[in-house]
Amino acid sequence: MSNQYVDRGLSAPVNVTWEVTYGCNLSCVHCLSDSGERRRGELSTDECKRVIDAMSENRVFQFSVGGGEPFSRDDFVDLMDYAHEKGIVTCISTNGTLINDEIARRLGHKLVYLQVSLDGATPESNDAIRGKGSFRRALRGLECLKKRDIEVSINTVLTRLSLPELDALAGLAASLGAKFRVSRFRPSGRGKKSWRSLNVSKDQMVAFSDWLSNHLGVSTGDSFFSVAHEDRKALGLNMCGACKLTCCVSPLGEIYPCAFLQETEFLAGKLPEDDFARIWTGSPVFESFRDLEIRSCESCDRFELCHGGCPAIAYHTQKKLGLPDPGCLVNCVSVKKTVSRVA
Amino acid sequence: MCLGSVYRLADGVQVRRESFGLLFYDYRGPRLYFVPSRDLVEDRFFEGKRTARELVESICAEHDWPRLLVYTKISEILTLLETKGLIHEQSVC
Repeated sequence: MSNQYVDRGLSAPVNVTWEVTYGCNLSCVHCLSDSGERRRGELSTDECKRVIDAMSENRVFQFSVGGGEPFSRDDFVDLMDYAHEKGIVTCISTNGTLINDEIARRLGHKLVYLQVSLDGATPESNDAIRGKGSFRRALRGLECLKKRDIEVSINTVLTRLSLPELDALAGLAASLGAKFRVSRFRPSGRGKKSWRSLNVSKDQMVAFSDWLSNHLGVSTGDSFFSVAHEDRKALGLNMCGACKLTCCVSPLGEIYPCAFLQETEFLAGKLPEDDFARIWTGSPVFESFRDLEIRSCESCDRFELCHGGCPAIAYHTQKKLGLPDPGCLVNCVSVKKTVSRVA
Repeated sequence: MCLGSVYRLADGVQVRRESFGLLFYDYRGPRLYFVPSRDLVEDRFFEGKRTARELVESICAEHDWPRLLVYTKISEILTLLETKGLIHEQSVC
């Protein structure tokens, strides 16, 4: 994707990540938002519709909807219907366990993309991360979607536990007629606590980078541009899209640069009471994010491929913005070489 | 490009104005397409209410540019968008 048009930010987001609730029936150890119970102050149905109205007025094309578990909200499918009436595409990220035939029937809309999370190809490996019984229930949901020919992706968060299962997960996805997607583990939410134990080592990240090159049909969203080889350059964005192409709305209506930076210092405004266009174009938080430069990366050979990587991971691991992504390919390869020399 | 035709967005495609020109979003993918057309073509043109001829003539009148130059540029843009499957031609004759 051409950065020249995106660098200073578009007139509005292309995609808004919307976490519609903190409520979740699972308790995944890597949950980016520390979800579980619904929280006081979550947007009501009417307030959610006003959020959708605001995005529609600003010509936002797409919601990436998550949570928490979106289907744990009784009004969720109605809200998606409302977004579709406005022509907004919804990419729904779900654990799949609450999807039944009736919900699948209502999701058969051309503007819906579904992404079901699995973190292992067997009940044992998946449930170690996502909780007992979650694999079987997610597969039941996937079968409901398959029966109705609803396009779906299986999404796996890359961790030390899921890495050895990627081939099996890709095979499972294929057997269900689903696409396969891998996303990056970030140390936000409960991921802060499990980061050290679950994040892949630098060697493993290098191996994963090679695996990605051998599996060009596997999508990664905007997760892995900092480790992807040249052959994946055309497959997606090669820079952080926060405040340029995208932003995040929390279950409380708070607006942040991205889902992984829901920290007080990055709070840019609140919906539905604030004017979204003013936040997007005039928020000091968003402005400073657009000005963010990872200067120490600019002389790197891979700078044009990653532009410094994921600011959220740099922030959470080093408590500062403007630093290189510690999990970028150059960092990983240089450590691997050093380790090899010492050995 | 057919001057007597209108051009509409393909199914599942949306467009909006940006400072560089037009930004197309195609839900099949989804994918984005950036068109550096500046202010030459309004996003509302793809509502199909004006023909390509009317578009060319309005640009010529507004900017006092040579007709051939404007025709060539608009033709390039519309042909490219049609090739990408983002718009389709609809004859009004």
